[in-house]
Amino acid sequence: MLELREVSTRYGPITVLRSVSLAVGAGQLACLLGPNGAGKTTLIRTILGIVRPVSGSIWLDGARIDRLRPHQIVARGVAVVPEGRRLFPKMTVEENLRMGAFIEWAPADFAARRDHVFSLFPRLAERRRQSAATMSGGEQAMLAMGRALMSRPRLLLLDEPSLGLAPVLVEQLFAMVQAINQSGTTVFLVEQNARKTLEIAHHGFLLQKGEVVGAGSAESLRRSELVRHAYLRT
Amino acid sequence: MLLVWLAEAVVFALIVAGILAERPLALAAAGVAIVVAGALLRFVAPLRSALVCAFALHPTAALLGGAALALVLPLALRSSPYWTFVATLALLYVTIGQGLNLQIGTAGVINLAGAAFAGLGGYSVGLLTVGAGWPSWLAVAAAPWVAVAVGALLFVPILKTRGHYLALVTIAFVFIFNILMNNLEFTGGPQGIKNIPTLRLGGYAFTARPTLGVVELPAHANFYYAALATAFLATGILRRLHDSWLGLALNTLRDDEIAARCCGVSIAREKLIAFSIGNFFIGLGGALYAVMVGFVSPPDFDFGYSLIMLSVIIIGGVDSIGGVVLGACLLVPLPERFRFLHEYRLLLYGLVIVVMLLFRPRGLWPAGIRRYR
Repeated sequence: MLELREVSTRYGPITVLRSVSLAVGAGQLACLLGPNGAGKTTLIRTILGIVRPVSGSIWLDGARIDRLRPHQIVARGVAVVPEGRRLFPKMTVEENLRMGAFIEWAPADFAARRDHVFSLFPRLAERRRQSAATMSGGEQAMLAMGRALMSRPRLLLLDEPSLGLAPVLVEQLFAMVQAINQSGTTVFLVEQNARKTLEIAHHGFLLQKGEVVGAGSAESLRRSELVRHAYLRT
Repeated sequence: MLLVWLAEAVVFALIVAGILAERPLALAAAGVAIVVAGALLRFVAPLRSALVCAFALHPTAALLGGAALALVLPLALRSSPYWTFVATLALLYVTIGQGLNLQIGTAGVINLAGAAFAGLGGYSVGLLTVGAGWPSWLAVAAAPWVAVAVGALLFVPILKTRGHYLALVTIAFVFIFNILMNNLEFTGGPQGIKNIPTLRLGGYAFTARPTLGVVELPAHANFYYAALATAFLATGILRRLHDSWLGLALNTLRDDEIAARCCGVSIAREKLIAFSIGNFFIGLGGALYAVMVGFVSPPDFDFGYSLIMLSVIIIGGVDSIGGVVLGACLLVPLPERFRFLHEYRLLLYGLVIVVMLLFRPRGLWPAGIRRYR
């Protein structure tokens, strides 16, 4: 479904991604693990078209998307929970959800989609007229997820959704990600929490200093020396 | 419902009294009445909550009542053509303010070139009527499009800069506009364009004094009603826009461009749409001003007027449709009332803005939460 072929990205003179190649098949739950500064967020932004790659190509369902603008890429069924969630703090829960469906411009089934998100996250329904900034971290994480689901994406990109959450909430969040994947959405999960991530992912990639240094099934990654040493500390 | 209308009637009576009072004693009485009314509202909680409740329950009645009072205002002011003119000016500022609020308040495109875009509307009317011999109504209809078209010159800086830098670019634009108007031959240089023919609709000239039954109104009442209709339309359209999906998207690119892009908002498209629609209404306000006053010259559209337009928004409430109406209706007539202070009254503007930003940064009528069914 999603494929990156030797993608390199630069911010001015600094090369952030070096010839990154990876592929995520339809219906899969793939993960990207890597330490701070490895280029994970840049990779997400490159897929979304917010950052343009200097070389290489990105393909979505066999069509090349690396020359498209972000709104065109979102319109092809990609949704994202960005790094730090980036909710619209002054807007209400309902307005944040509206923005999730913005790409289709007032879809007729907006109410149905919203109610579906409310059924996944009942807390959001209780707070629908409350501004996003006044919610707890866990609720904000739910809202960010709900907003991304409002466009009924085929590919969901998650950039460290567990950041700053209490362990019990992280548990719930990963269960939710798994459920979303099982309902048919392809998920590309970027995380630092390697243990939890490898429990739910089908396969994954390791990113270090802008390069893919490892790839394979979740099982093989769990066993690899590199991951055990760097992330699992066993 | 009665309470709503009663409250509106009281406000109306206070405003008219405040405007028309001539002798110091009467003026002082009106001033004291306004202060007492304000204090009652501020400190008597039951009264305030009753009023808030009444207005929230009967928005249509409140709107109708307000519209009716706006319609009879020229009757109350008929002894004073000057104040009819000032009231008309306030309504033009409503139209201009709504356009500017879409840019600055809703989309966060800081445009300090409001005076230039109003000037583009005004000068277009002057050139099209005096220069090209068009009828006034056609020139007024065409002028806003000139403002929109010339606004396209700023498209590149709008996409490349934001915040303070964009403000600087637009300030430069006002000065360039003024220098050009002062020096270009065909715009009349510092003299401007004189003898712009008045508006004529179906043979009815706007310089005629309208009569309602036995009451004769000043000629400016014609423009008052034209400006009222325009302000009403502009407010209605921009309210719809503000509450629409586009309005929401404009808010997102004001608050967080990256997040907006993640939601599939095209920053470039949305910013330029907001900028152009805003310029349309600013230009429309300038065009109506030109036909009302009958001449345009560079000092009518200098940077100071940009600041007045900005103050209308800040005092009313950034991104608040009702706030713009309130801000224009306060900020345009009030300095006129304080004319006896001569140029010092301009200091009042500065003072009011500083006080507002310190104590009520969201404006007198802060933007509320959008209502969805």
